[in-house]
Amino acid sequence: MKTLTPLQLFIGFSRIGLSGFGGVLPWARRTIVEEEKWLSSEEFSAMLGICQIVPGPNVTNLAVCVGSRFCGVTGAIAAVLGLSLGPICIVILLALLYNHFRDLESVRGILRGISAVGVGLIASTGFKMLKDEFHYPPSLLVVVVVMIAASFFHLGLGWVVLLASPVAFFLAWHKAKR
Amino acid sequence: MSTLITLFLKFSAFSLIAFGGVNALLPVLLELAVHQEHWLDLQTFSDYFAIAQAAPGPNFMTVTLIGWHVSGLLGAFMATFAIIWPAGILVFFLQRFILKMQDPMKKKVVQYAAATLAIGLVLSSALEIALQINHDLMAYLLSGLTIAIVLLTRWHPLYLIALGALLGGLGFI
Repeated sequence: MKTLTPLQLFIGFSRIGLSGFGGVLPWARRTIVEEEKWLSSEEFSAMLGICQIVPGPNVTNLAVCVGSRFCGVTGAIAAVLGLSLGPICIVILLALLYNHFRDLESVRGILRGISAVGVGLIASTGFKMLKDEFHYPPSLLVVVVVMIAASFFHLGLGWVVLLASPVAFFLAWHKAKR
Repeated sequence: MSTLITLFLKFSAFSLIAFGGVNALLPVLLELAVHQEHWLDLQTFSDYFAIAQAAPGPNFMTVTLIGWHVSGLLGAFMATFAIIWPAGILVFFLQRFILKMQDPMKKKVVQYAAATLAIGLVLSSALEIALQINHDLMAYLLSGLTIAIVLLTRWHPLYLIALGALLGGLGFI
C-alpha cells in the first residue's frame, strides 16, 4: 500500500482547502483521485459516503479518513491542519477588512447580495440531493418529518435527528430490500 | 474565559449533531450566538455568513468567525477545533468499522437513512437561514435565482457569489 508522509498530506490538503470556493468537496476529489492518484475513484467514493453519513463538517471528516488511511493519527492531524489553516487565515484577514469598512453602504449591499446567494447555494445542494430520492418516493417522508420538526416546531437539531431516525431507518431498510 | 469555555463546549456538542454538514447547523448556531448568548447581533452574523461564503475553504468558516468575534485569534481556533474534533474522532473509528462491514445490505440501510436525514436538515436549514437574513423580496428573488441557476446550469459557484456581490453593491438587494 502506498504511504505518504504527514508533510505530503499537509501540502495536498492545503491545496484542496485554498482552491475551494463554494465548497471544497469537488476539489478534494480532483486532487486526491485525479491529480495525486492517492486513491482510486471507488475508494474515494466509499470514503466520502462514510464521511457524509457521520455528523460534523464532511470535508474535515474526509481529511481524517484519508490522512489516517496513509499515516495513522499523525496523518489525520496533518490533513485536517492543512485543510483548515490557510482558509482560517484568509477568512480572518477578510473579517479585519470588514471591521474597517462595515459601515459603507456599498459594502453592506455586497454582503447582503452574497448572503442571499449563499442561502440559495445551500438550498440547491439540498434540492440536488433530493432529486436522487425520487427513485424511491417513500423516503421523501423522512425529509418532510425533518422539515416539520425543525422548521415548524423549531425543535433542536438533536431532537430532530432522534425523532426522524426511526422513520429514516425503517424506510431505508425497505428501500435496500427491493 | 467562561465565554470561551461555553463556546467550546456548545460547538463540540454541535459537531455531533451536524448531520448534513455545518450548513445544516447554521440555524442552531444563529439561535445560540445571536438570541441566547448575545455574542453578536443578527446583522453581524449574516455578514460573517457572507464573508465565509466568499472566502475559499471549507464551509465551516462562519463558526471560525463567530469564535474570532467572541475572543480574537484564540477564539477563532478554539471554535474551529471544537466543531472538528468530536466528529473527527467518531469518523476515525467508524470508517474502519464500516469499510470492514461485510453485509452490503446493512451498509445500504445506513447510507440511505443518513442521506434522507441530511437532505431534510439541509433544506430546513436553508429555509430557516433565509427567513432570518433575507431582508426583502429582492433577496428572496436572488436566492431563488441562485437555486435555478445551480440546478439548470453548470455555472461555478464563484460566479454566483460575484453576481450577488455585484447586485448588492449596486444597491438592488
